[in-house]
Amino acid sequence: MNNYTQFFLRQPLSSLSVFITLLPIAIIWYRRAYSNKALRVLFYYLIVKLAIDMVMLHYAAYNLNNLLFYNINIPIRYILLSSMLYHYFDSKRYKQLLLFSAIFFVLFSIWDIVSANKDLTDTYNHTIIRYSATIESVLMIFWLLAFYYEAIQSLKIDNLLAFPFFWICGGLLLFYSSFVFIAPLMHYNARRIGPLDLGFLLYVPYLFEIISIVLIAVGIMYYSPRPYDRS
Amino acid sequence: MIDPEQIRWAILIAMLAMLMMAVFVITFVILYQKRQLAQEKNLREMEKEYQLKLLETALNSEESERKRIAQDLHDDIGTMLSLTKLSLNQLMKIINKDEPQTEYTANKVQSLLEETILHVRRITRELVPTTLKQFGLPTAIDEFVQKLDANHSISIHFNCIFENIPRQSQKVELTLYRIMQELVNNALKHSNGDEIVVDLHMEMGKIELQVTDNGKGFDAKAMKESKKAGLGLHSIDSRLSVVYGTVSYLTPGAKGCRVKVQVPVEPEKANKAEPLHPFRKSA
Repeated sequence: MNNYTQFFLRQPLSSLSVFITLLPIAIIWYRRAYSNKALRVLFYYLIVKLAIDMVMLHYAAYNLNNLLFYNINIPIRYILLSSMLYHYFDSKRYKQLLLFSAIFFVLFSIWDIVSANKDLTDTYNHTIIRYSATIESVLMIFWLLAFYYEAIQSLKIDNLLAFPFFWICGGLLLFYSSFVFIAPLMHYNARRIGPLDLGFLLYVPYLFEIISIVLIAVGIMYYSPRPYDRS
Repeated sequence: MIDPEQIRWAILIAMLAMLMMAVFVITFVILYQKRQLAQEKNLREMEKEYQLKLLETALNSEESERKRIAQDLHDDIGTMLSLTKLSLNQLMKIINKDEPQTEYTANKVQSLLEETILHVRRITRELVPTTLKQFGLPTAIDEFVQKLDANHSISIHFNCIFENIPRQSQKVELTLYRIMQELVNNALKHSNGDEIVVDLHMEMGKIELQVTDNGKGFDAKAMKESKKAGLGLHSIDSRLSVVYGTVSYLTPGAKGCRVKVQVPVEPEKANKAEPLHPFRKSA
């Protein structure tokens, strides 16, 4: 227990980014937003994220290498978030591309994990993958921009500010925009030998993760079972 | 070897640029969407206004055509019939009255002629309700109801406190009058009842016209959706849309039907009594 307390005091921002996930989970549950397909996928994502983050927090509190979970989290996060967008998109072309990108990305991130860690059983020296986080950020920014493009093209939604996905995608866009330039350096920062110290920049992803989670929570607050489009 | 401090600053600047782009995208989407929706709304309103103008023009054309036909009937046929009657009267004086057959035929022709003159007058009055323009809606409805009551076996009543109903523009009064005609005619033709009540009164700043019968009633919604029938009901809707009125179809009791029409009262303006000729062209 002492280890956890010390970790919380040492890393308040990263600890907060773990526990704040409970907020949107509680709101989805309270507002029964899981009845919407896309929000149900988001609900699963938040639960998986919370579980992985808790395990990572436990490892970090005991000074154990938790980067394996960080690496595993990347393809899982992409699959779940792209599935959420898959349910939102109307365009068949976007849906197909999203499906192909998910398959490609999972295969690529497996290759990335294996190539960055020759010995997968050596958890002590496990390192962060080189390219997957960057590619994930680029792909997600592309899909989020595609979401906004489709929203203004179709004019389906009368009031975007009262549309849950507007806030959810806004939060994710801010998170990935802040992460896309830091992601390539994470591999070199989180190494035991010859680290590149990113300094205060390491806290930026945590900060934007908290912001994005808050925006996701705001979006879910706007959830209503009635259809959002103007049909 | 690059200084890590330089790398940190470079990443920070790139990250800030990326965040600015994200914020710009989100703001742009909100503003663009708002503008597009406002444009779409304007377009829809313009289209609606245009449709209303079209409808109003069509209704005005219909009234003009009625006026023209009434004028032709009055000026041409009416004059000819009056002249014929005059000539017939002169002829009656010179025919041989000793022959009963000749006298009988002449009297028959005279009575047929008088009947024709009355029919032409009635049709002319129905085409252009001159009483409406001259004395207002309650008097015109009263006149219409009294004539129907005298000519039909069905009992028709009109309830109204005349002074409570303010004069309205010709458009509003004519709309309500035509709707009343349509509803009463529908009740006469289809209701199979024996009593029709027309009620005209003010209701919360609106003129309310009610036509109630004790007949078999009908399903207005089904009637409107039906392709074969319901033209009269559609015409009521069209006429009301021009004066921003509403119509509702109710069932007052176990049987019968009550149609309630409401039209907003127009702002009062100086309604100067005009000397009226039935076929005077409006300005």
